[in-house]
Amino acid sequence: MASLNRRDFMKALGLAGATAASATACSWDDNWYRTPVEEILPYLVKPEQVTPGTPTFFATTVTSGPDAFPLTARHRDGRVINVGVNRQLVQAGEAISAIPKAAHLELQKVYAPDRIRRPQEAGSDIDWNTGLEKLAGAVKAAKASGKTVAYLGGYKSGAIVELLNDFTGGNAVFWEPVGRAAEATAMETLFGSRQLPVYDLSEAHYVLSFGAAFLGSWGGTALASQFAHARNPNHGHFIARMGLVSPHQDQTGANADDWVATAVGGETAAAFALAKLIAQQTNYAGFATAILGNVDVNASAAAAGVEVAALESIAKMFVEAGTAIALPGAVENTDLAIAAMLINVVSGNIGKTVKGGGYSGPLHTSGDVAKLVADMAAGKVGVLLVDDANPVYNLPPSLGVKDAMAKVGTVVALSSHPSETTAAAAMVLPTSTAFEDWGDEDVSASTKLLRQPAMTPLWDTRSLGDILLTVARGAGLTPMAAPAVASAEGDEAAETEAATDTDAPAVDVSPLGFEPANWRAYVQTRWERKVWANTDRSVPFAQWWIRTLQAGQFKTAADASLTPSAAAYSPPAPAASEGIGLHLHLHPHRHDGRFATAPWAQEVADPMTGQVWDAWVEVSAELAAELNVKDNDEVEVSAGGQSVKAGVEVYRGLKGKSAALAFGQGRTESGRYANNRGVNAFALVSGDKKDSAGNVLMVASGVSITKTGNSADLASTFGSKGDSDGGRNWGVSVNAAALAKSGDAPAAHAGDMTGIHHLPRDQRLEEKQRYNFYNSPQKPNYRFAMTVDTNACDGCGTCAIACYAENNLAIVGKSLIKRGREMNWLRINRYWETVTDENGVEHGDVRFVPMMCQHCGLAPCESVCPVLATYHNVDGLNAMVYNRCVGTRYCANNCPYVVRRFNFHSYVWPEPLHLQLNPDISIRTMGVMEKCTFCVQRTRRVKDAYKDQGFNTLVPDEALRELPACAEACPTGALTFGNLNDEASVPAKSRESGRSYVILSEFNTDSAINYLAKASFHKPEAAHHGGGHGGGHGEGHGDGHHSGTADDHGDAAHGAAAGHDDHGKAEGASHGHTDEHKSAHPEGAGEHH
Amino acid sequence: MEAIRPPSYSAANRDIIRVMFTPSAAYLIGLGISVALVGLLGFCLIPEVWWGMGMAGTNNASFWGTYIVTFVFWVGIGHAGTLISAILFLVRSKWRTGVYRASEAMTVFAVMTAGLFPVLHLGRLWQVYWFFPYPNQRYLWVNFKSPLMWDVFAISTYFTVSAVFFYIGLVPDFAIVRDHNKGLISKVYNILAVGWRGTNRQWHHYMAAYGFFAAFAAPLVLSVHSVVSWDFAMAVTAGWHSTIFPPYFVAGAIFSGCAMVITLLLPMSYIFGWKDYVNEWHYDALAKMCLLTSGILTYAYATEYFIGWYSQNPHEWEIFYWRATGEYAWAFWLMVFCNCVAPLPWYLPKLRTNPWVLWIIAGLINVGMWMERFNIVVSSTAHGFDPAMWRMYSPSMWEVGILLGSCGWFMMYFLLFAKTMPAVAIMEIKELIAAPVKGKLEAK
Repeated sequence: MASLNRRDFMKALGLAGATAASATACSWDDNWYRTPVEEILPYLVKPEQVTPGTPTFFATTVTSGPDAFPLTARHRDGRVINVGVNRQLVQAGEAISAIPKAAHLELQKVYAPDRIRRPQEAGSDIDWNTGLEKLAGAVKAAKASGKTVAYLGGYKSGAIVELLNDFTGGNAVFWEPVGRAAEATAMETLFGSRQLPVYDLSEAHYVLSFGAAFLGSWGGTALASQFAHARNPNHGHFIARMGLVSPHQDQTGANADDWVATAVGGETAAAFALAKLIAQQTNYAGFATAILGNVDVNASAAAAGVEVAALESIAKMFVEAGTAIALPGAVENTDLAIAAMLINVVSGNIGKTVKGGGYSGPLHTSGDVAKLVADMAAGKVGVLLVDDANPVYNLPPSLGVKDAMAKVGTVVALSSHPSETTAAAAMVLPTSTAFEDWGDEDVSASTKLLRQPAMTPLWDTRSLGDILLTVARGAGLTPMAAPAVASAEGDEAAETEAATDTDAPAVDVSPLGFEPANWRAYVQTRWERKVWANTDRSVPFAQWWIRTLQAGQFKTAADASLTPSAAAYSPPAPAASEGIGLHLHLHPHRHDGRFATAPWAQEVADPMTGQVWDAWVEVSAELAAELNVKDNDEVEVSAGGQSVKAGVEVYRGLKGKSAALAFGQGRTESGRYANNRGVNAFALVSGDKKDSAGNVLMVASGVSITKTGNSADLASTFGSKGDSDGGRNWGVSVNAAALAKSGDAPAAHAGDMTGIHHLPRDQRLEEKQRYNFYNSPQKPNYRFAMTVDTNACDGCGTCAIACYAENNLAIVGKSLIKRGREMNWLRINRYWETVTDENGVEHGDVRFVPMMCQHCGLAPCESVCPVLATYHNVDGLNAMVYNRCVGTRYCANNCPYVVRRFNFHSYVWPEPLHLQLNPDISIRTMGVMEKCTFCVQRTRRVKDAYKDQGFNTLVPDEALRELPACAEACPTGALTFGNLNDEASVPAKSRESGRSYVILSEFNTDSAINYLAKASFHKPEAAHHGGGHGGGHGEGHGDGHHSGTADDHGDAAHGAAAGHDDHGKAEGASHGHTDEHKSAHPEGAGEHH
Repeated sequence: MEAIRPPSYSAANRDIIRVMFTPSAAYLIGLGISVALVGLLGFCLIPEVWWGMGMAGTNNASFWGTYIVTFVFWVGIGHAGTLISAILFLVRSKWRTGVYRASEAMTVFAVMTAGLFPVLHLGRLWQVYWFFPYPNQRYLWVNFKSPLMWDVFAISTYFTVSAVFFYIGLVPDFAIVRDHNKGLISKVYNILAVGWRGTNRQWHHYMAAYGFFAAFAAPLVLSVHSVVSWDFAMAVTAGWHSTIFPPYFVAGAIFSGCAMVITLLLPMSYIFGWKDYVNEWHYDALAKMCLLTSGILTYAYATEYFIGWYSQNPHEWEIFYWRATGEYAWAFWLMVFCNCVAPLPWYLPKLRTNPWVLWIIAGLINVGMWMERFNIVVSSTAHGFDPAMWRMYSPSMWEVGILLGSCGWFMMYFLLFAKTMPAVAIMEIKELIAAPVKGKLEAK
């Protein structure tokens, strides 16, 4: 050994690691291998601005178009490893505190192993100069031969739109397959201006949706935040009620209190009938009267397949709510969007819940795309630039986009994400992602966002703007004469006004053309001329620019009024649908397929079914019986001349002969994570169904479903296909009216609303404080805790994805999830209980219960670990020492919450996904247990920061509330972190609430997480027993009658529960029935206090 | 019923020692199969060490699976041996004489087999030495609150005590083997016999030591399986967390152990022609023991269900209801059949002595007791507190290989024992025969 020096040893170690890796690396799907051996080397010369172990934050903007969202990029050692809330804006009240799910997924796509890394032509690499020259030549040739240069991409706004319009001479199409152009058309029809409405749900007492996934992947994150605000009983003594008129309950629809199931495609007819009913109730006589004149409520309701009485009841609640809002459907449909907006109009909610001043950038319809495709097929298009749109995948096959692309002179894909469209393009010029590029967004009349590159491009990619500028100059293009953005004229007028008001020097406001040297200069110059020029210019631009870059957002006052001006429009004649209906909808994670390439979007369970890595056909119980299929049976679904085979999930959120299929799977040319997973729902769009504006609807028609007799290969993380928690009180709901009245007033005053029977504890042991066998630390500074408000949680799963991003959770793939080995530290349990209302009518009640390590004060896992690998630390955290773990797994067997996750293998992150790993957390190797740590790396960092200010300085509540990744990302504020030893903290205060409950509290685990029960409008008001009696007849009793196993629990346990604490003995065993007790204690509280 | 019927001291010596050191072809084949199974165990262990515990069928809810099931099974098997050798010795039960040696060997080998599993079920089994509270520079210590730590001490104590007790019992017999052989064998057994000459003084000390170790081992019969049961009873998991577990486990252990003694000794006595030493008298007693413990088990099962229902604890009742009706109902009913129903024919005295009936029922009991542990270990975790985390477990082929390998490991030792040690305690047999004294005494 003497001859082996340290260097040789390190080399040998590295070689051994490499050999082990290459010898045993499996296909990614079996995503594990032997523990890797890696070298770590320190910087020899440390780059400036990089302090090892310290992150840097850059304000940036993620996602594009109307959904663009200001965030910060967390930068570590040369790359962005995570996204975070832009605290500066949140504290200024200019942004909501949330991280859109899309932001995490976009960031993961930056590191996607199959990204296109350099320019390619016909599948082989070329260099940039060649590519750009070829493109310039093609553009020149197209112009010379009188053909157009066209662009097709997703929604965009800001500078890039202007540049693209200049570049293509106005032939740029900004389109999304399930987008929001229909709403813009509706606004144009009813208010004469083509812009998106600004929805404000925060004060709405009734939210009526026709299927729009406004709590999922539709309409931006702000809507979920507003809805949570409206549902929050502490904001103004009301709880928003949600109605759903749609054939299908998706994750958003699962939050609905009232569900009127229409036939598939019947939403439009139902919406017009509702608009008419509401107009009748409000005696509406405004500008839209004419449109509703021809609507026949009975005929429409019949065509929609719903009872008029059901619609009348919705209409009544909508009108009685006063402040209310109607939102459009699951897929774009101009008629439905108009009907929904009409409801807002006739109920007088324009200006209250629906405002103007929204996004006014280009939103093209499928009709515009069809026109482009027709031009392409006719050979009129010389050059087609395709950006982040994926028309080959997203357009119905009947449109023949692939054939049309073959007739275009040159198709150039400007995207670094491989897709069906890049595969069909002649040339791919990969563009940088939002994290690597400059950019800006005009999300509304009042809000502009700025984006700066937070890292150098990972690969040899260039920014779209630079490509366009270079090619434009190379091809000698001339920009369009007039600026293309509609708002630009207004800006100029305002600018002149502003110029006269101040002493500031005059600024150049001329159009930019292709004049700026590069894309950064383009963005900067545009902001100078169009944004800064409209300010008072008291701050010099250079300074203002840096300030704005740091903030990431610039707000101005804007006119939010809407002027009614009814255009000629008549609703389509209601037509009843026949046979089986197939409802197509956006997937909450994979959206329209754009995120299918991000493994998190595949690995994190579907909120409603728990399905991962696949596509499945949801069928109603009725249809399942008719087809004689059960879960995981394979069926063949045919529609629009196409057929696909997929597994079945018998689904409670469908009625009649309905089925549903989510968009987003069935990619074929999109890299390892997306390819050949499930089926493409767009292939089933027949293309013959159009709305009255002539746009193709993304719906299936002429559907038939047949059983193939085979078994599918679906993998679900939901252990029990039964929907109930079986009376265990994991998901609890309380009477909404009572909750609205009391808010989160302490149970001592409002009574215990949950009605959970607490098992009696021995009085003598209680007095001696002998329930904790071991000594607790004396006066610790912290007891970290969390409050989970299940009333706010809408099940979107953003927290789960954020947890994957923060904590380096392994992606294990479908085969291992099928074997029950997902590594999620945070899961969202979905319980679908049946609640019987006071009239004896049964309603479905979906409760989302985020479940993570409860950090029990008396943790069952800790006492059983033979080697003390899991222990309690002084901050009250249930800590886990990975290095000490030997893997007995006893802790996990003894965790009643089943939140511990075992590394059954060592998992790998295919390069370059490993670059995204959070260096604050170690990568766990096989044989080691792991679980939620409450993001100990974050709590530790913030604790240290405050300790630096003084030894006794404790972290204030404000700095803790959204500290863990899940709480930071949550758009609804359902997760709140805090210090239980600080009486003013949110978790400490919420524990007093009348709707607070602790899961499995009877185990005396002293859980650090308390849950707040969900408001249910159907739940009969629980009998309040005051503080003294520990619960009345709530869940355990009411649900017990439906849930089987807990049937007998309700009454007997109630008898036992009576008299469980200090006041209890008086009432004794006389608590026989709810009614008796209710009459004895009408108000519950007070008598004992 | 007749007792042991050996004609004389010399016949006893001859009959027992006759079978040693002369392996037949069938024996060698059996030994070969056992060794091959041990090889299978090693082979199946490799992927688990190399690729991780994921090679087993365990999952995020059911973390233990076959390994711990089999661990408890083998620990249980051991108990009959100590019961027969120690407790029956202390209560001076004469029928133990013919069977105790083989039972004791079975105990030692069963504990050795059981001891494999806590090691090889570890996620990082190369760190197994962390279980031991040895002083180290890292100041790491073990958690004495953990039942697994109690297991470490319970099992190692049990193994040590049974091995020593086993060896002490063998010393006089080793001397007989020494005296009946020549050459190398004699030399080896001379060492093993540690100078045993059979003097009065030696017998005096020997009997004192034997009594002492019997008294020392006796409580272990109750304590070891109680401790093993605490692995479960100390947990909060529904279906585990139960005060009935210690007696219930001890009864089950004796039940399975006695059945295993029948399973092993019955063919052995026929093959070796030991009808005079191991016969209906013993089988009848063992079968009665099984009947008693089967009754206790049946009562325990019933009690669990009664308490599950009577306590109105939804978690308890759910798991017991599900065991009998859910996906693992086959395992539950197989357990009930094998442990509660199958022994019932033994209430007819005739069937307690029929070798075929004995052997088949004992085999069923072995299956049933494995299933009992499967029911406890797997079902409770597979069907825990959160319905959203119910996960079914089924063993992977690697686990099945290791299960079979553990049987091979046990059989290998037992077969080696049968040919290298007197499988019936010669010196105790002689206590039942009239001493070969000249005169009238011998005639009687």
